[in-house]
Amino acid sequence: MIWKRIIMSVLFIGLVIASIMIGSFADMNLATLRAGDENAWLVFWHSRVPRTAAIVLSAAGLSVGGLIMQAISRNKFMSPGTSGATDAAALGLLLAFIYLPTNVAITIGRLVIPAGVVQTALAFVFALVATIIFVMIINKLKIREVVYIPLLGMMYGGMIAAVSSAIAFHHEAIQMLNAFNLASFARLGHFEMIYIVTIPLIFVVFYATKFSIIGLGADFAKNLGVHYDRVVFLGLCIISLISAAVFVSVGPLPFVGLIIPNMATTIYGDNLKKSVIDLMMFGAVFVLFCDILSRLIIWPFEMNVSVTVSLLGGAIFMVYLIRGMSSGRVRQSKTA
Amino acid sequence: MIEVKNISQSYVKGGHVKTLDDVSLTVREKTVTALVGANGAGKSTLLGAMSNVVQTMSGQVLLDGVDVRKIKTSEVAKKIAFLKQIQQISIRITVNDLVEFGRFPHCGGRLKDIDKQKVNEALDYMMIGDLRDRFLDQLSGGQRQRAFIAMILAQDTPYIFLDEPLNNLDIKYSVEMMKIVKKLVTELDKTIVVVLHDINFASAYAGHIVAMKDGKILSEGYPDKMITKEVLNPTFDHDFHIIDHDGKRVCLFFDHNQ
Repeated sequence: MIWKRIIMSVLFIGLVIASIMIGSFADMNLATLRAGDENAWLVFWHSRVPRTAAIVLSAAGLSVGGLIMQAISRNKFMSPGTSGATDAAALGLLLAFIYLPTNVAITIGRLVIPAGVVQTALAFVFALVATIIFVMIINKLKIREVVYIPLLGMMYGGMIAAVSSAIAFHHEAIQMLNAFNLASFARLGHFEMIYIVTIPLIFVVFYATKFSIIGLGADFAKNLGVHYDRVVFLGLCIISLISAAVFVSVGPLPFVGLIIPNMATTIYGDNLKKSVIDLMMFGAVFVLFCDILSRLIIWPFEMNVSVTVSLLGGAIFMVYLIRGMSSGRVRQSKTA
Repeated sequence: MIEVKNISQSYVKGGHVKTLDDVSLTVREKTVTALVGANGAGKSTLLGAMSNVVQTMSGQVLLDGVDVRKIKTSEVAKKIAFLKQIQQISIRITVNDLVEFGRFPHCGGRLKDIDKQKVNEALDYMMIGDLRDRFLDQLSGGQRQRAFIAMILAQDTPYIFLDEPLNNLDIKYSVEMMKIVKKLVTELDKTIVVVLHDINFASAYAGHIVAMKDGKILSEGYPDKMITKEVLNPTFDHDFHIIDHDGKRVCLFFDHNQ
């Protein structure tokens, strides 16, 4: 256990340093930094550090959000992306772009709210409403088949995305919608919104045991004196806030919320209290690696990070699924 | 002491109407009480209502003289442990994690020395101390069931309610489970209420049997009074054949006339 943690920490730190040092501005390196080169430090503080922080925070957030979604739905194939949260966040952001000023702060009386906060808030509200409706639906249906829930979630998300497309079409904003749906750590706009993710992450660390307990079912939770509905609601708020902040600042990172929790739990187990830090690091390592890859392949240009995440993540998840199926078959024949 | 006073309930779950019709019951202390009856008789609903997991429409459940709905849920969880049938669980946790969850009502997730001691005691009592770092999905059915009972023991409640604990268990593990249940009463002074489908398990291991039908309690009493044609035939709408075997009564429920 301790070795796994040390290896992961070394990998994490190594990739963070690599992520900061790699980039198109060649004059930023250890020598120029040590020499106190003004331009190098400017790039360091205003480009490289925010970017690396955004990668770490969005990856950690989506990993944790995915695990909580899986606990709430008691389904290993769920994630913010397969429960309507991401699509609803996109709808919220689209409406904010269409109906609200995009680059100036909104003033209500003496209160000045930055546009990024308004966009994130709208994306959050849409994501929250969408996930609450979805969880109500799956609780009402009492679906036993494991695959139906993510299927239902994908259809649900598809419907929300279709509504977004229709609205975008009506307002001639299809291009903008397409731009949202490509994740990039080099995105212009309200990049700083990613720091919001730290708030739900702190909550998760404090409520870790409760989230693990609700993963064992409503009756189990009630037996232990845990207010099931309240914890589920808190969980959905956390998922929605993470999805919204990541979507507004980076865009949709496909698969991260799905594969990272699945792979991390086979290594660390599902007791969030013990594994939450490992889970965040695991997610960060994966996305840092994908991002570095997408920056190196066609250097000095960079590829869209969704492309590498999709390719690598999809491949890893397929291998994981196939191996899981065959080991599951072994286990079945053993008990039979 | 747990007293059920005139509780009624009616709701639809999974297409079946679940009812309780003016049920009253005083749980006998330090005994295994078995709830028996046909499907839909209201056994599980009654158990749920008694542990405040199922809300009732009228009547009340008194825990040491206080209405259970007026007690904080975390306090109820220190008095009553309620375990639904040991189901397939999808999340991956170790035996130790599970048993530590049992301390949640006492410590809210931050384990102190006393909590760790209780966890160790529970693991030792169920003889699964050597399995504590194994994941639940790596255990056999019998080991997993011991792990769940260890969790209930760590919860350290005087009352233990078990809803169909023998479901999905083969005969060997079922007998083992009922022996454990009986041991909890004789050695640890627990008061246990258990929903059972097999009347012969009730006859062999329970000290008190409650027969239910259509949301009502038909009759209750000691096993020798309950395992009779007069009681069982109307409870299950079936003609039973009762035989005596080494002083215990055994029901034969297949059609012996053919």
